[in-house]
Amino acid sequence: MSTGLVRTIAVAIDCSPHSKASLEAAAEMAERLQADLVGIFVEDINLLRIAGLPFAEEIRRYSSSTGKLDEAQLERLLRHQAREARELLQQAADAKTLRHTFRVLRGMVPEKVMSAAPEADILVLGRSGRSPSCRKGLGSTARTALYEGKGTVLLMRPGFTGASGPLLVLYDGSGGSRTALVTALALAGPESTIHLIIVDLDPEAEARCRQEADALTGGTGLAVEYHHLPLADGKQLSRYIRMIDAGLLVLSDRMELPEKTLHDLVDDIDYPVLVVR
Amino acid sequence: MPRPEKLAPGQLYNHCDHGQFVFETTAELDGTTEIAGQKRALDAIRFGMGIRHDGFNLFALGPSGTGKQSAVLHSLSGLAPGAPCPDDWCYVYNFEKPRHPRALRLPPGRACELVSDMEHLVEALFSVMPAAFSSEEYQSREKEINESFQERQDTVIEELEEDARKRDIALIRTPGGFAFAPVKKGEVIKPDDFMHLKQEERDRIEAEMVRLKDALQSIMAQIPKLQRERIEKLKELNRDVAGFALKPLVTELRSKYETLPGVLSHLDAIENDTIGNFDQFLEKESSPQELFMGGATSTPGARGRFFVRYRVNVMIDNGHSKGAPVVLEDKPSCQNLVGDIEHTSQMGTLVTDFTLIKPGALHRANGGYLVLDARRLLFEPFAWEALKKAIRTRQIRIESLGQLFSMVSTVSLEPEPIPLQVKVILLGERMLYYLLSTYDPDFAELFKVAADFEDEMERNHDNHLAYARMIGSIAVREKLHHFDRSAVARVVEHGSRLAGDATKLTTHLQGICDLVHEADYHASEAGRNRVTAVDVQAAVEAQVHRATRIQERVREAMMRGTILIDTASERTGQVNGLAVYSLGDRNFGRPSRITARVRMGKGEVIDIEREVEMGGPIHSKGVLILSGFLGARYAPEIPLSLSATLVFEQSYGGVEGDSASSAELYALLSAISGVPIRQWLAVTGSVNQFGEVQAIGGVNEKIEGFFDLCRERGLDGRHGVLIPATNVQNLMLRDDIVRAVEEGMFSVWPVAHIDQGLELLTGVPAGEQAPDGSWPPGSINAMIVDRLGAMAKKQQEFASDHEDEKESKR
Repeated sequence: MSTGLVRTIAVAIDCSPHSKASLEAAAEMAERLQADLVGIFVEDINLLRIAGLPFAEEIRRYSSSTGKLDEAQLERLLRHQAREARELLQQAADAKTLRHTFRVLRGMVPEKVMSAAPEADILVLGRSGRSPSCRKGLGSTARTALYEGKGTVLLMRPGFTGASGPLLVLYDGSGGSRTALVTALALAGPESTIHLIIVDLDPEAEARCRQEADALTGGTGLAVEYHHLPLADGKQLSRYIRMIDAGLLVLSDRMELPEKTLHDLVDDIDYPVLVVR
Repeated sequence: MPRPEKLAPGQLYNHCDHGQFVFETTAELDGTTEIAGQKRALDAIRFGMGIRHDGFNLFALGPSGTGKQSAVLHSLSGLAPGAPCPDDWCYVYNFEKPRHPRALRLPPGRACELVSDMEHLVEALFSVMPAAFSSEEYQSREKEINESFQERQDTVIEELEEDARKRDIALIRTPGGFAFAPVKKGEVIKPDDFMHLKQEERDRIEAEMVRLKDALQSIMAQIPKLQRERIEKLKELNRDVAGFALKPLVTELRSKYETLPGVLSHLDAIENDTIGNFDQFLEKESSPQELFMGGATSTPGARGRFFVRYRVNVMIDNGHSKGAPVVLEDKPSCQNLVGDIEHTSQMGTLVTDFTLIKPGALHRANGGYLVLDARRLLFEPFAWEALKKAIRTRQIRIESLGQLFSMVSTVSLEPEPIPLQVKVILLGERMLYYLLSTYDPDFAELFKVAADFEDEMERNHDNHLAYARMIGSIAVREKLHHFDRSAVARVVEHGSRLAGDATKLTTHLQGICDLVHEADYHASEAGRNRVTAVDVQAAVEAQVHRATRIQERVREAMMRGTILIDTASERTGQVNGLAVYSLGDRNFGRPSRITARVRMGKGEVIDIEREVEMGGPIHSKGVLILSGFLGARYAPEIPLSLSATLVFEQSYGGVEGDSASSAELYALLSAISGVPIRQWLAVTGSVNQFGEVQAIGGVNEKIEGFFDLCRERGLDGRHGVLIPATNVQNLMLRDDIVRAVEEGMFSVWPVAHIDQGLELLTGVPAGEQAPDGSWPPGSINAMIVDRLGAMAKKQQEFASDHEDEKESKR
């Protein structure tokens, strides 16, 4: 995404708390940017396959008793979930008068989510979905989107506003980080504050980066705060970012930072993350 | 026996000499009143109020209008201000048993203080609690607890997931829970592919899955426990934070009320409750004031009702009281005595809470005196029993009557009883006192002191002055004209007339008070600025005139001859008796013709009134006495051979009392002797078996009744009335009668014995009985003896002729 224009926002909905937060953030962005909303629900093929296995058994969540997984029942439940997801999208879109479409696909969830809306400029996902443990790290779909995705991805989590709140942008003067900043400026709400974190290890980079960034942010009217964090370790970065305690973290995967650092950071951080490509 | 002298005019009326008063008008008096003539009752009241033991409650008994209430209140006004002021009482929420609100006792004036302190506490909590719970420390501690729980849960599941992954098995979330499935390259093996695996491989996978499933099941069984632990930790955190926020507020209140253990324990309960319900103070639907004041009465929401629990319902506030309370409850219904639990309608159902408990008269009088009218109390359903129960148990227990009789079947309250220490004073008529004493076994236990109010008091200078003072105080209080001393004297005389005794004064002060008002009216009409004797006289006459319609109709009937009353000739066996009629609070007298006829018989005197059951028992008794007198005096040794009939002529309403027995005797003796009776005289008085004439009631009205008739027909100097000599002291006759007597146109004779009466009525001497029992010839008694002797002889002859006839027939 190099133009900074956002026409379509896709959002994966599986009715989990994370996906509800994703839907809210997506709807809020779509309203502000006058973009279309595409809702994606994927019927997990893995589930249907389990039902086909001879010994497949379900361990029930609230009684820990077991029961046979019935394929027909599973189909019904998935249809019900899809309907629920559609209603959620409908409600969110109606409240903000958005154009929207809803797509139901069947297959492996990560792949289908990635391929469901190729036209979308941003894909919004929950950091973790309906995986067994609500672990802190990324869910399988989010992981796939981070490692294998080609488009811009917003990984949401409940309890945060999307782009309308304060934004944290990782900047190192690279082309990728510039794109990230431009995107952040495009997405930022009128009240947002931009926390620009300069991560270039060069001690003299700060002034240079500031200059570049000022040129980009000048004229937007947004408040910009500069932080210089010459760190290369993802976990350390995440700790500092937590101390700044802003909102959405915006970064690019085409920055000078090592890929592992970026992945560690995204994996570890408690905030929603927008990965710009 | 000497013939009695006519009464002198001075004996007919006991004048009150206004010269004895040193004042000119009652305005000169100091306006203070004393309860005169009730020493016995006042002593009893003083005793009853002074004694502090249980059961020494007071019953002030006496006719209405005798000033019982004034006397009691007057006595209490001297006692109560010096007594200690009782404590305040209030009801508060019982946090352990909400159905049983707690009663709190506080020193005078402190209940209202507690109310405002509680209001401030709740108001403060609405700012303190949200501040504490939105603090960063709280938020981070809460997050930490939640995350540590999540982490523990995640770790065990992740370990299991890892274990499974190593064996190419994935843990997958299903819509209803979890499932394990064999995977290949991240995808669940298709069923067909699985079936193509080797049997051993399939068995291995299956066994692994069983093991993993068991492990997951045991993990999941642990989750509720972890969840509980998390909730407990969160609760503990909440308690700590809420407790810390609340502490300074409660500590301040504690030190303020440190001497009151009841309030302290209530504050403890409030502290616990607010800590447990801290979340109620976090959401702010409406202002704390509204929520606090709302409750069942106005806010329908459950949240509004919640805050009612911190309110204080002040039952008794003695903050501004001085001394012990004196409560006069005019409507002593059960609810007004012991209090009530009101309900309010909410969404169609009746609900209540402790703020709807209403105090009763017993609450208000607690520590002091409660004055009640006995008749009104007994007329109110359940009130008497409720009062007795409260006095007996020495506590006020509020019970809703609706609840008690299942008329209201909603949840109600049982408030904690309040200890009771009260003197109850009942005011009532004597009949009520004696009925209660006889039929209610509790009564004697609970009302040990009786203050018996006199109907009348001695007529002496002190009491004359007491009347004057009372008139003066009424004039001041009611803004009437003052009475001059002649008017006071006339009121005193009227007081004597009301008492029916020339030597007494009535204590029925209501009647006197009415007369004072009426006399004031007449003075105003006449344009005088002070009330004189003329005005009092006019008021008395107007009172009489207003009440004399029936009296005048009766007299008119006599004038027209419809009712036969002879006041001019002499007739044998006929006498004018005098009867008194009572209509409401007015009495009037009228003459009645009594006749007697005799014939030969077996010595019986037949009272026709009794035969037709129109005579009361006392009247019958009087007539039977006549037979006794007749037989013993005139025929002690010969059979009494007459049969006499006695009748009250033209009486249609029944006769009671023995005041006509002397008249009946005169009629009978006239009938036997054949000597006519002077009809211009009338007779009253009862008689005993020895012929002594005894006192009767209503003597003034009786004389006036006969006088009015005679005057209308024209007084000729012969007219008069024979009254028992012992009734002379009761004479307070009207002024016109006294004048007629002075002019010699009317006479009143005091008669002590029947012989005196006979002489006056017949003009024939009665004679003195000789020791041998004989009477002087020519005397009326001799005539009677002769006639009876002749009758006995005739009867004997008749009996022997009859025997001979029978013999010859045989």
